[in-house]
Amino acid sequence: MVTVTLKVNGKTRSATVPPETTLLRMLRDQFDLTGAKLGCDVGDCGACTVIVDGQPVNSCLMLAGQSEGCEVLTIEGLADIDHMHPLQKLFEHFGSLQCGFCGPGVIMSAKALLDANSNPCTQEIRDALGGNLCRCTGYSKMIEAIKGAACIMRGEELPAVK
Amino acid sequence: MKAFELFAAENADHAVAILAKHAATAKVKVIAGGTDLLADWKFSPHGPDVVVDISRADELKNIAVNEQGLVIGSMVTHSQIMKSPVIRQMFPALVHAAHTIGAVQTRNRGTLGGNLVTAVPSMDSGPTLMALEAIVTVIGATGRRQVPLSEFFLGPRKTILKPDELLAEIIIPKANLGKPTHFYKFGLRKGQALALVNAAASFWVDWDKNVFVAPRVALGAVAPKVIRAPQAEAFLEGRKITPEAMEEAGRIAVNDARPITDFRASADYRKNLVAVLTKRCIEGAYELAQKQRQEGTNGNGNA
Repeated sequence: MVTVTLKVNGKTRSATVPPETTLLRMLRDQFDLTGAKLGCDVGDCGACTVIVDGQPVNSCLMLAGQSEGCEVLTIEGLADIDHMHPLQKLFEHFGSLQCGFCGPGVIMSAKALLDANSNPCTQEIRDALGGNLCRCTGYSKMIEAIKGAACIMRGEELPAVK
Repeated sequence: MKAFELFAAENADHAVAILAKHAATAKVKVIAGGTDLLADWKFSPHGPDVVVDISRADELKNIAVNEQGLVIGSMVTHSQIMKSPVIRQMFPALVHAAHTIGAVQTRNRGTLGGNLVTAVPSMDSGPTLMALEAIVTVIGATGRRQVPLSEFFLGPRKTILKPDELLAEIIIPKANLGKPTHFYKFGLRKGQALALVNAAASFWVDWDKNVFVAPRVALGAVAPKVIRAPQAEAFLEGRKITPEAMEEAGRIAVNDARPITDFRASADYRKNLVAVLTKRCIEGAYELAQKQRQEGTNGNGNA
């Protein structure tokens, strides 16, 4: 067994798990943070995306032990009961998710993008979402929502939607 | 996933010591980013008994120019290569190649060393580094050794690494710093696709005679390992730089390739790709050479 201590959504957490446990399994099974989803489990679909030390990663392809001392941000760390993150508001506003399974991963990828680039162009957004597969809504409405969230986070008015 | 024992190495020496202790008696694997290994182990009953995590070995994360050349630590991630000012200036081809690997999430964890050690013939780091005659440093209990990257690969998923050794650094020799190089990958999609064929070309230009100097062509996914294309290189050496020569070099490179037919593409299709990609890489490297000349630099910042 390995004992892992890390910061998850700002709080110090610790768990003792078998060495072969992935970060995703630890988040879901030890910390009850089930926002990050177990999709393909091999790094293709991005449903497990979380932000580790500022970088979006597939938590299914990282050992829990490799996250020792890291700062992890999951979808649960974005909102509280009263305040949604602008990305979450805009995904709702634009209807960017249907089944929603890919949503937490997509939003975490988008969050990491906007943290690094406050005004991304369409191609930069597409590149940032390249590792997140959505099979029902498609990507157009997500891209609109991410552009909208970027506007709001820059303190600008949301452009009128046609 | 099969159970294993996990050791977190504090640095490269510590990793080597752990490897030395266990390599003789157990199946030991070194894990870096884990993007390839973990995906494998989840579906294999033949996983390792002991895993040595080198993701904390900070001395393997440097990018620096020293007396030997451009040294890239094996733990440098693809994202770090894309952001490195020195690599962006000297070798846009390496930046481009890194960008074609996986997606953001895999590039943030996946490392250059891991991409090479995995030794998949379609690896996107391979052709550019082979064309630039990279050397790798391997460390183990018995010391360090350096070998040309061309001798590092033995076949699909096989390298010269012994169970108690690890890849420490990748070096582009000083003589090739700033050498105009171009990488081209052809996959079925832009995102998260394996290369059907990938290629790189690298050469200096003798501007007085307008001829190719020290041309190097490397091909991926068309042989059991990343290969050089010696016939195409011999054809180009000292030849006048013309569109016809670039096209002919592509046709000749086909003879250097030994592609197979699999579910991604037929051998014939891959041969056609070799001709086209080789030509485009030569065109791209020539464009870069012209740009560097106009700017009065040769990519390493020197006039």
